[in-house]
Amino acid sequence: MASAVAVGGRSTRKRRPAWSSQKSGAALTRTSAFGLGVSMIWFSLLVLIPLSAIIVKATGGGWSTFEAVLTNDQTRSALGLTVVASLIITAINMVMGTIIAWVLVRDRFPGKGLLDLVIDVPFAMPTIVAGLVLLSLYGPESPIGVEVSGTRWSVLLAIAFVTLPFVVRTVQPVLEELETDVEDAAASLGATRLTTFRRVILPALVPAIFAGAALSFARGISEYGALVLISGNLPRSTEVVSVRLFSFLEGGNTEAAAAVATIMLLIALLAIVTLDVIQRRVARRG
Amino acid sequence: MSIEIKGVNKKFGDFVALEDVNVSLPTGQLTALLGPSGGGKSTLLRIIAGLDAADSGTITIEGTNATTLPPQKRNVGFVFQHYAVFKHMTVAKNVAFGLEIRKRPKDEVAARVDELLKLVHLSQFAHRLPSQLSGGQRQRMALARALAVEPTVLLLDEPFGALDAKVRKELRDWLRRLHDEVHVTTVFVTHDQEEAMEVADEIVVINNGRVEQVGTPDQLYDEPANDFVMGFLGEITTLNGVMLRPHDIHLSLTPELAGAAEGTISRLLRVGFEVRATVLTDDGEEVTIVLTRTHARQLDLETGVRVWVTPAAGALTMPSLAAAAG
Repeated sequence: MASAVAVGGRSTRKRRPAWSSQKSGAALTRTSAFGLGVSMIWFSLLVLIPLSAIIVKATGGGWSTFEAVLTNDQTRSALGLTVVASLIITAINMVMGTIIAWVLVRDRFPGKGLLDLVIDVPFAMPTIVAGLVLLSLYGPESPIGVEVSGTRWSVLLAIAFVTLPFVVRTVQPVLEELETDVEDAAASLGATRLTTFRRVILPALVPAIFAGAALSFARGISEYGALVLISGNLPRSTEVVSVRLFSFLEGGNTEAAAAVATIMLLIALLAIVTLDVIQRRVARRG
Repeated sequence: MSIEIKGVNKKFGDFVALEDVNVSLPTGQLTALLGPSGGGKSTLLRIIAGLDAADSGTITIEGTNATTLPPQKRNVGFVFQHYAVFKHMTVAKNVAFGLEIRKRPKDEVAARVDELLKLVHLSQFAHRLPSQLSGGQRQRMALARALAVEPTVLLLDEPFGALDAKVRKELRDWLRRLHDEVHVTTVFVTHDQEEAMEVADEIVVINNGRVEQVGTPDQLYDEPANDFVMGFLGEITTLNGVMLRPHDIHLSLTPELAGAAEGTISRLLRVGFEVRATVLTDDGEEVTIVLTRTHARQLDLETGVRVWVTPAAGALTMPSLAAAAG
């Protein structure tokens, strides 16, 4: 059965590339050629060329630069902290974001519109302001008596703060489009609320949850502004990769900075691909 | 009696969806709930299924008081207007859903799914996703899914409402044949009187939250309880202050029959084999008359021609509300 499902799933996915290759085999129309040209130039200028420059720069010094960076305790610790903290927060976001999206779509309560608006604030405000906000609440003069600044908790807190909206905002529209009819159908077939959620609703949300998770992870490993004030940037303790990278640059070691950047790029790529693979697996299982 | 509905009331805020509804639906029959949109028929169906709760009243299904039972325990199959398919599951998985959550043995599930897909002519699509099916095929899949759990009653909410006219007609013939094979007590909601009359053994006419009449298609058409039922089940027109059907009017070019009203043809409209003539009588009434194309040709009808119209022998008539009021 599982293999049959997989075949069915694959054939749908295959359809689109086949169709598009057929289309690109024929000559592009004038407008689509223009559109493609503009997109590629814009994308190259902003993304492809700078990224290639970084990689060229990093590999310019051969393996030794990478080796030096990776064997450096302080850098390794910063890399580890950044990735692990981002993974933890991403996992939390997948659960919390789905719950918040559910509440926003399905429940009615006073202040719902306001909550819907406020969700985006961590994302919308300058990250350094976010850092200040966190510092004033959880810093040395914490009005609530919770002081986390200078500990690893502060790193988790700051990443959680800035990545909160991602899963919420990817899941919300999917949930809005999910017909309640489907849940009624499952109920009339004898499924409990829990079974309906697990077998009918969750599989429909999985692609959105994982898309949000990928965004949230990418944002987490790259965070600087919100972290820099509250974490204290203690080497081998609360220093994250972006801070480490910045100090390399300040020290004039651009090759090491480029090497760290390249490693981060690979990690981000790996994470996004892994999340996509898991997402397809889970969605296919049904 | 398979389904007993007693004293059911339902309000949505100030809107009265159902008002003191009492209906008994017999076992093994195909019953249509017929009425205009917003008349409460879908609400009644959802209350039978347990998807909505009535404010008061009782629902009994096969002798069991189901009023407070959750939908999971009512053993009803429900088919929705917009299919409500499980998009991420294959056709076979969709049909198997109800059996799988009942933890039936795998080979039993596979055999039953196979049998049902054959019944709805979807065997070759078992491993497709619902998105690869047409609307009609999706609805047949939804029907197989509902039948899989061997429901006591099968409820269909405007099952063909989202399909185009041709597929709708095919599916309604097919539903009738399917019902003759499976014999499960079936209730379906429709606003299409032709669909109800063609498919159902019995029709319940619902309007403004109330049951207007219950009867066989023939009873409803020939002996409507009131002017609403008469008007909803077919076209009506008014002649000499009585309501009657446009095809029940005799039209002639000479005053053949006593009491015939004299008038002029003001409009002629041909739709396929039918010709619809509008006659403006000298009393100022606009009467619509339906004739066959052949008949109209024999009479050589044209706009402006003087004609005499009178109710045909055996025509069903009902005093017009306007006339009664006047």
